[in-house]
Amino acid sequence: MSWLSPNTQPLSDVQAAHLLRRATLGPTPEHIKQFTGLKPAVAVQKLLADQPLPGPPLDPATGKTFVDQPFVEAMQGQHQSYTKGWWLGQMLKEGASVREKMVLFWQNHFVTTFAEVNDSRYMYNYNTLLRRNALGSFNTFLIEITKDPSMLRYLNGNQNTVLKPNENYARELQELFSIGLGKGNYTEDDVKAAARVLTGWTDTGYRNTTTAAITTTFRQGQHDTNDKGFSASYGSTVIKGRSGATAGDDELADLIAMILKQPETARFIVRKLYVWFVNSEISQAVETNFIEPLSKVFRDSNYQIKALLTALFNSDHFFDDSLKGAIIKSPIELIVGSMRYFKTVPPDAVTDSANFYTFTNNLLARGREQQQDLMDQPTVFGWRPYYDTGLYQIWITANTLALRGYFTDLFARGQLKVNNKVYSFDSIEVAKTLSDPSDAFKLVDDLTAQLFTVSLTNAQKDFLVDSILLPGLPRYEWPTEWNDFIKTNTAAKRTVVKSKLDNLFLYLLRMAEYQVV
Amino acid sequence: MKRRDFLQHTAAGLLLPVLFDGYGAKAYGEGSAFVQALAKLADLNDRVLVMVQLNGGNDGLNMVLPLDQLSKYNTLRANIAIPEAKALKLNNTLTTALHPAMTGLRNIFNDGKASVIQAVSYPSPNFSHFRASDIWFTGANANQTLTTGWLGRYLDQEYPGYPDKYPSTDMPDPLAVQISAIASTTLLGPIQSMAIAIQNPDTFATLVGDKSIQAPSNESNTPAGKNLAFIRQQQVSSVQYAAQLKNAATKGKNLVTYPTGNSLADQLKIVARLIHGGSRTKVYYVSIGGFDTHASQTDATDKTIGQHANLLKQVSDAIKFFMDDLRLQGTADRVAGMTFSEFGRRAASNGSLGTDHGSAAPVFVFGNGVKTQFIGQSPNLSDLDSGGNIKMQFDFRQIYATLLTDWLGETTTTVSSILQQNFQNLPIFKQLVAGVEDPTVTFRLYPNPASDDVILESEFFRTGINSLRVVDPAGRILSVPAERLGVETLKLSVRALPIGTYFINVETSKQQLSNRLLIAR
Repeated sequence: MSWLSPNTQPLSDVQAAHLLRRATLGPTPEHIKQFTGLKPAVAVQKLLADQPLPGPPLDPATGKTFVDQPFVEAMQGQHQSYTKGWWLGQMLKEGASVREKMVLFWQNHFVTTFAEVNDSRYMYNYNTLLRRNALGSFNTFLIEITKDPSMLRYLNGNQNTVLKPNENYARELQELFSIGLGKGNYTEDDVKAAARVLTGWTDTGYRNTTTAAITTTFRQGQHDTNDKGFSASYGSTVIKGRSGATAGDDELADLIAMILKQPETARFIVRKLYVWFVNSEISQAVETNFIEPLSKVFRDSNYQIKALLTALFNSDHFFDDSLKGAIIKSPIELIVGSMRYFKTVPPDAVTDSANFYTFTNNLLARGREQQQDLMDQPTVFGWRPYYDTGLYQIWITANTLALRGYFTDLFARGQLKVNNKVYSFDSIEVAKTLSDPSDAFKLVDDLTAQLFTVSLTNAQKDFLVDSILLPGLPRYEWPTEWNDFIKTNTAAKRTVVKSKLDNLFLYLLRMAEYQVV
Repeated sequence: MKRRDFLQHTAAGLLLPVLFDGYGAKAYGEGSAFVQALAKLADLNDRVLVMVQLNGGNDGLNMVLPLDQLSKYNTLRANIAIPEAKALKLNNTLTTALHPAMTGLRNIFNDGKASVIQAVSYPSPNFSHFRASDIWFTGANANQTLTTGWLGRYLDQEYPGYPDKYPSTDMPDPLAVQISAIASTTLLGPIQSMAIAIQNPDTFATLVGDKSIQAPSNESNTPAGKNLAFIRQQQVSSVQYAAQLKNAATKGKNLVTYPTGNSLADQLKIVARLIHGGSRTKVYYVSIGGFDTHASQTDATDKTIGQHANLLKQVSDAIKFFMDDLRLQGTADRVAGMTFSEFGRRAASNGSLGTDHGSAAPVFVFGNGVKTQFIGQSPNLSDLDSGGNIKMQFDFRQIYATLLTDWLGETTTTVSSILQQNFQNLPIFKQLVAGVEDPTVTFRLYPNPASDDVILESEFFRTGINSLRVVDPAGRILSVPAERLGVETLKLSVRALPIGTYFINVETSKQQLSNRLLIAR
């Protein structure tokens, strides 16, 4: 159990930064300071604390939300970008919390997409369901997501009836959502049997232009009332066929209970969270010393997600120095994390909603071109870097790397603008927060320690000072210029210092080190 | 492949009987016209392979329609069955037709430039998108996980030392280009992807810039060290290749107007420009998604339109315009392409006007080099497996092996190592046989199509018959009762042969005679 044994020493600044970089969508320098010195148990409790649910997205034209209104075909394009922008807004403004990163995890676990579902009200409800359950009971989560109207649409659960079974959801429920595709976890016949258990559910209100209500209903007459026998993989369980109004719920509860009874289900979810928060490589040693005991914690807690995450973030293994930098940031982590680190405040989503959506739309487009489109994964498997051969490295190609640089350039150069207002950071103000900005080496040293999880070699720091910050200039020029500027802040002196710092930031944000966490 | 290697390989290879296009080619010495003719083909350096991925599991049974199985077909999938009258009939076959949306591909077929390989799968097929895709990408057995792609291994074999030793004078261009933001596992080599993924060669150079300043680095053997090394390598490669790609894209021209609103056509359009612009890239990879048609794959009343029809039209149009473009550019002889999907769909439709995950499905190979157009038979819909799926006729790796050897000129030994086993080639590309001797003389054969008896007639039979072979499109020699009726006539009894296309090959003491026979009932 040693890998899972809790780390009890107060967090160093490096450990605090590591915890925050991994557990949240990115810390500010202040978060790192606040968490330094805390006992891990306290820090993790803060990160996992329940947060209030946010209010719905607003339509700038009316100042009211559209999610509780009848469907309006002509507005779908806008409503879609408002819903996505609204979620991005939650990520940008969240404090030091694990929640939105977990919502992102679950959205990539229980995938449904705008492209398929095509009703923003459904997608908003779905996103809210994910948020409500993100740290709760996995048992409840599986039941609710199965009946979610967007999921019923996305995986054809609404077309699964006794006379015409549709296996789509029953397969993905097992393969992707719960037990996984591991050898012998379930059979093709189990897919068919599960599909029969799930017959009869449907959604109402889809793209309905006259009434606002969206519900899930169980149609007794469409339900297969025969007993459903499962294979030896599930201990030859027989789910008793039922009829009546509660048959669907009762059989669904039995089905989920049967799946959760398999230890492999806990392992599958723990592995997926491991890839999300720790490392893409799961060696046999990790399997034995970490995945297995953590899966037991998950099972013993009756599948409480918070219990699993508490044990994970507190563990010695999570703080293993050799795992720093093991994760390549996703586009959302890169974009949102950059905004958060430099404390760039977006336009207010309520009082300035039109500008807010212009701003979030721009960031969403950057994420999309870097291959991460929120609530629009290419397939039900989610984004490839979380499951496919090569894992996180799939985020990086010549093309996406160029687009990552394009984004950080826009941001650092002050070219992210809405209504002529620039959304960027002031390199001079950032430098002023460092321990001794007048010393070029210390400046680079402090800054890279804050920005990067991997420490640079002295040779790299020298290079940054001599070739990037002060190309062709002797180092002693920097303190003179900086101090001179601090003493008398004229536009000319400011420009001299700022242009050098801006170059440094442009370069730092394009470095390989900035892509890992 | 170098010419010298080719000759060495050929000399060794010819000790064994070789089946080319279903015809036995006899072993000749190294100096013979046959081997010389083959050697001419050894200059395969400029050959290009284009992989077209149909993502999501394409419904092969509505794409390639089995005209000889229609009553069963209509029973199994009444709610989505394409009406026979609407099916696109093809020349030289009575059994195979295309989905009505695929007029472009129909024309390619009728020009003799496309081949369909029926019922392609592998033993113990997997029904998960994820796992099945991985099997196709890597060329793994169903029970095995590989961490490199089959084309990644091929490129690693041909261009050892990538990425460190490239670009080089001999290979200044990317080894593989995928028109996408992300590269497929198919192209994953032992160290990293062998492909450069680009969306647009024009803006790519601007995005990556023409130089990169690399800070000194200290990459340890930790996960972080590996990530950093990987990212830096991508930075370097992108800068190195950006200028080459832009150059080729600038020099290359599209000579047809591609259809709009067709994502596959958009991608193939870029591929055609790069090829025409002189890029020496060996492999291009394009893809189109949306084939996971669990519901509403056809319109409720008109089965010839709907989601699946739209997708097939895009595929068919894209390939047609691409091939027309290559023809006008004069690059068509250099290019062959293959379509694939991770699986086909269940023979029976579901109640949602859709189809669930299945297994075996047809694969298309297209290009001027294609010679045998119909390989295998219509799937037997009265003989499905226990899951209601079409039984496999060919392993997908037989196609890979054929592309690697007969198209890209790789040796069979190397291909066995790339694909882990020795797979029998399919007779997709026939030109290798062209050098054997004079074109084979055809003989009269009637009735054709036949159902029970066939008469073979030729004056060359007078000189004596050494052997008579009936070969199926996979190159398998079949046993068929034959009877000599007279000095110039033979009778074959073919009533036991399944419906399909066959080659009849008669070797006299002077001549190789051959003809194509259709069996229809």
